[in-house]
Amino acid sequence: MNWTKQHPGLAMFAAMIGLLLFLWGMAVPLSWAPDPIGQAAQQFAEGTRMTVLLTLISGTAGVVLGVLAGLGKLSSVPPLRWISEFYVWLIRGTPLLLQILFVWLAVPTLLPDSMQISDFACAAIALALNIGAYNAECVRAGILAVPHGQVEAARALGLSPFQTFVDITLPQSMRVALPALANNLASLVKDSSLAYAISVVELTMVGYRVQAESYQPIPVFVTIAVIYLILTTAFTSLTAALESQLDVGRKR
Amino acid sequence: MTSTSSSLKPIIEARDVDKHFGAFHALKKVNATFYEGQVTAIIGPSGSGKSTFLRTLNRLETHDTGSIKVDGIELNDDLKNLDAIRREVGMVFQSFNLFSHLSILRNVALAPMRVRKMSKEAAEAKALALLERVGLKNQAEKYPVQLSGGQQQRVAIARALAMDPKVLLFDEPTSALDPEMVNEVLAVMRELAHTGITMLVVTHEMGFAREVADRLIFFDHGTILEDSSPGEFFSNPKHDRAKAFLTQVRHGF
Ligand SMILES: Nc1ncnc2c1ncn2[C@@H]1O[C@H](COP(=O)(O)OP(=O)(O)O)[C@@H](O)[C@H]1O
Ligand SMILES: [Mg+2]
Repeated sequence: MNWTKQHPGLAMFAAMIGLLLFLWGMAVPLSWAPDPIGQAAQQFAEGTRMTVLLTLISGTAGVVLGVLAGLGKLSSVPPLRWISEFYVWLIRGTPLLLQILFVWLAVPTLLPDSMQISDFACAAIALALNIGAYNAECVRAGILAVPHGQVEAARALGLSPFQTFVDITLPQSMRVALPALANNLASLVKDSSLAYAISVVELTMVGYRVQAESYQPIPVFVTIAVIYLILTTAFTSLTAALESQLDVGRKR
Repeated sequence: MTSTSSSLKPIIEARDVDKHFGAFHALKKVNATFYEGQVTAIIGPSGSGKSTFLRTLNRLETHDTGSIKVDGIELNDDLKNLDAIRREVGMVFQSFNLFSHLSILRNVALAPMRVRKMSKEAAEAKALALLERVGLKNQAEKYPVQLSGGQQQRVAIARALAMDPKVLLFDEPTSALDPEMVNEVLAVMRELAHTGITMLVVTHEMGFAREVADRLIFFDHGTILEDSSPGEFFSNPKHDRAKAFLTQVRHGF
């Protein structure tokens, strides 16, 4: 951990390379494993890549949603505040599985036939909406932590409200919000497993299928668990390094 | 520091400026005209409306009624006017308010880049020159938290100067400083006062007011009670409230 603090750039690079190597190289060592793992190595690798893709897409969209909703909650315009508060209340008060099923089953009936969306997209949308609501709280707390005097100083210098937000408020609030956002992202790696319910072939679904064919649930689920652990560890180190990178100004 | 008579071009004109915070009447029909190059010290008891008045002049607070003109531009809801005025009026705060995530150099260079659309190179060159002027060129790569309070306030002054303002507003610039750091900031302000920039300084530093200011305004209960020269005010205050204030200050509070 000390090493990541001293060389955050290098640590991020290493975690990124490690993750990529793992995603595209894992099938090789897995194929050496005894059956039922060895013969399904390719499937595990594809499922893992699907899980990571789902996490990255919904995680990115979730940060954007979180910033919008977090800002909305602090807005001086009442309707924006109401919409943001309603969104957060709705998502945090209902189960994620229900949200995924809702997007998968209910949304297509609302859309015209020409605009149907894939199972993967349904899962990504539901997960993004979900993590966005949790991110909104972190972003709001982060924005509130930026000293108001700095905002006043920026405005007094002639920066527009938007410039003030981008140059002063956002970077500082992100530094505060980042540990919590990173936590949410690590949970998202795991939460994405619920996409198996709508037949997205991600890691958990692969595990389910392989054990159903082989009747050997224990080695299969242990393998899946180890892969999830590697993924969450990689994401956590990535965000820890990013945090140190952003930690300038607090250095003594 | 040539006095008011040298050039009588008004730069700030406040007419009947009124301001409430809820039911509290913070400014009561304040009238004052400030002239180019003039250094005005604003003193008065805590809570008398000094900060509020200063902050209405660059619209960090909106005034309820009355009018404020800066360099002939009316300060109102028109954002174009506000932009124009904020380019001409710089402000230095009691608590410095440096951007804590930016280096000292970036703190000073940011506004010229964003507002004046200066290139990064030009803005940083200008920032370095200003930092040199306040004696902090060698601190340019540090972050605010690494500097003492006095150094931070000098950076804040350089940051305000980077926009080439015609007017600088100071709201108790030395009140948050340890005593041994007050003088380094006052020295920079004293030097500035001789450059012909218009300065409005809310302060408790009576020595500075007496020595550097051309004009002295005494605020009390949201009004300007006395508006005279420092010499006149200190030797011969007219109102009882001003006399009481001076007695209190002389005994050091
Ligand atoms: N944002 C605000 N909301 C409510 N009351 C305020 C606000 N700002 C200032 N006041 C009140 O207005 C009065 C004048 O404040 P201020 O201008 O800061 O006085 P001074 O700078 O002379 O000490 C004080 O009584 C203060 O409590
Ligand atoms: Mg004040």
